Amino acid sequence: MFNTFFPILVLIVLATIIAIAMATVSVIFGRRTKGGAKGEPYESGIKPVGDTKERIPVKFYLIAILFIIFDIEVVFLYPWAVIYNKLGMFGFVEMLVFVVILMVGYFYILGKGALKWD
Amino acid sequence: MTDQNWSILIPEIFLFIWALFIFGLDLGIKRKNPKILGYSAMAGLTITGILLAIFNGGILFKGMFQSDQLAIFFKVIFIGSAFMAVGSSFDIASEKIRHHRGEYYGLILFSTVGMMFLSSASELITLYIGMELTTIPLYVLAAFYKDDKLSVEAGLKYLIVGAFSSAILLYGLSLLYGLTGTTDIVTMKINLSLVFLSYGKIGPGLILAMIMVIAGIGFKLALVPFHMWAPDVYQGAPTPITAFLSVGSKAAGVVAFARIFVNGLIAFASDVMKPLDWGIIVAILAAAAMILGNITALRQRNIKRMLAYSSIAQIGYVMVGMVAASELGIASVGYYMFIYLFANMGAFTIATIFNDKTGSDGIISYSGLSKTSPIFAAYMSIFLLSLAGIPPLGGFAAKYLVFAAGIQAGYTWLVIVALLTSVVSLYYYANIIKTMYFSAEEPTIKIHPSFPANLVLLISVIGIILFGIFPGPILDWALESAKIFAF
Repeated sequence: MFNTFFPILVLIVLATIIAIAMATVSVIFGRRTKGGAKGEPYESGIKPVGDTKERIPVKFYLIAILFIIFDIEVVFLYPWAVIYNKLGMFGFVEMLVFVVILMVGYFYILGKGALKWD
Repeated sequence: MTDQNWSILIPEIFLFIWALFIFGLDLGIKRKNPKILGYSAMAGLTITGILLAIFNGGILFKGMFQSDQLAIFFKVIFIGSAFMAVGSSFDIASEKIRHHRGEYYGLILFSTVGMMFLSSASELITLYIGMELTTIPLYVLAAFYKDDKLSVEAGLKYLIVGAFSSAILLYGLSLLYGLTGTTDIVTMKINLSLVFLSYGKIGPGLILAMIMVIAGIGFKLALVPFHMWAPDVYQGAPTPITAFLSVGSKAAGVVAFARIFVNGLIAFASDVMKPLDWGIIVAILAAAAMILGNITALRQRNIKRMLAYSSIAQIGYVMVGMVAASELGIASVGYYMFIYLFANMGAFTIATIFNDKTGSDGIISYSGLSKTSPIFAAYMSIFLLSLAGIPPLGGFAAKYLVFAAGIQAGYTWLVIVALLTSVVSLYYYANIIKTMYFSAEEPTIKIHPSFPANLVLLISVIGIILFGIFPGPILDWALESAKIFAF
């Protein structure tokens, strides 16, 4: 019991010490600036103040939706890759079918011009 | 029967690849030739039918996918309705949907693949996935006229109602799984009987599950009181899609209902089992569907809305055969759907052609059609009389069988309601015939269907007359397919 969980205890202790140390070091040696970009919620993101009814081109949504499909494809690929050896030929063919169907979809959106920005 | 018989999946796999091919073909030919897409979709469906005749009979995935006689019978109906929907779409495809022809035909085929999966499902999860595969392409197809407010409204309504009903259905199915510990329908039947025999009763969970499954499938079937979406969706959607919805999608709902209730919950379809008797619940809904559908159809001035209410009533007649829950009952349901395929697809095809020519769906604009286009007026009359159930057309034999099954099972009151309402229905069907033949107005419109639409009409008329006079072959096949449920 102790032997099994001892490394975890070490990890917890080390993580706590390092976190506290880093915070302390930055308090002692860090430079303090106030105002300007520091005060904003996103230092390098979009401006937090402005009209909420801003129009965003629909192309962004299209790209985002198409991205999700291939994103999910990768999500499926990870567990498949982990147990690839156990699945054998059957698993390989199954995934090939899945990927080929998605690839047909990819060529379809290319052909339809859904990825053209202009 | 071997356990892993991959060949029975060949028709579905072929149709799926063919649909992808049509998507690609549309891009390849740069939208130049609209006809080639339609013809290749029809060819694909024909080849699928041939493949179905070669590769059938067997089970796959440890019984999750069965290619039995019932599945094949309904698959023929699905392929037929898709074939006819594609055939009547040629004029629309060449004019109204210039930029998405490949998607239009491809989605019809995808939906057909879903229906074929659904009819083969002998297990709740496969059944649910089949139902989703069927309806998701249909949401898109219903909203296919992107510039037409009614069509977009139809698509949105169908999407919301469809998603809602899928959720209810899934909840009902999860309750069934919770009660029986299995998703396999036959095992479910055995487990429920075991529980009932051991404890003498089954808790209210089963009632809840039944009501939810009835509601979930009832939405797809447009059974009263789950029918509100049907008239708006049927009116707004492109007419061939309306036809496909009213035949293909309904037949899919019918086969799902038969699999769950007439197979899985057959033990509860009797008076002794009150209040677990689903037969009486469905019988009441069927009576309501027949009364409401037929009476509301009387007031319709738009042919698509009228046919929508008529199809609500027709599903009421189908349910008479279903509540009978006997071999004859299921056979009569199959036969009814088979004839309904011809009659309804035919009537909607005429409506499509007419709408292409005149841009109108009003019944009044059909006046004088018999003088300008006598053949199509005659076709329309045959379709409508068959829907009304006039001998010697197919609709008569279908109604006769359904009523016989109802009487045999002791639902005499339901059959009386059905008989009375079918007299009412004759009025609005005959009203169109009267408008076409005896209107005083001067006829102006002459319709010229494209070759495929003509073919669809010819197949429908021949089917109705032939199987009306000789119901034997189809009825034998339907009886054969009903044998897979052990009564």
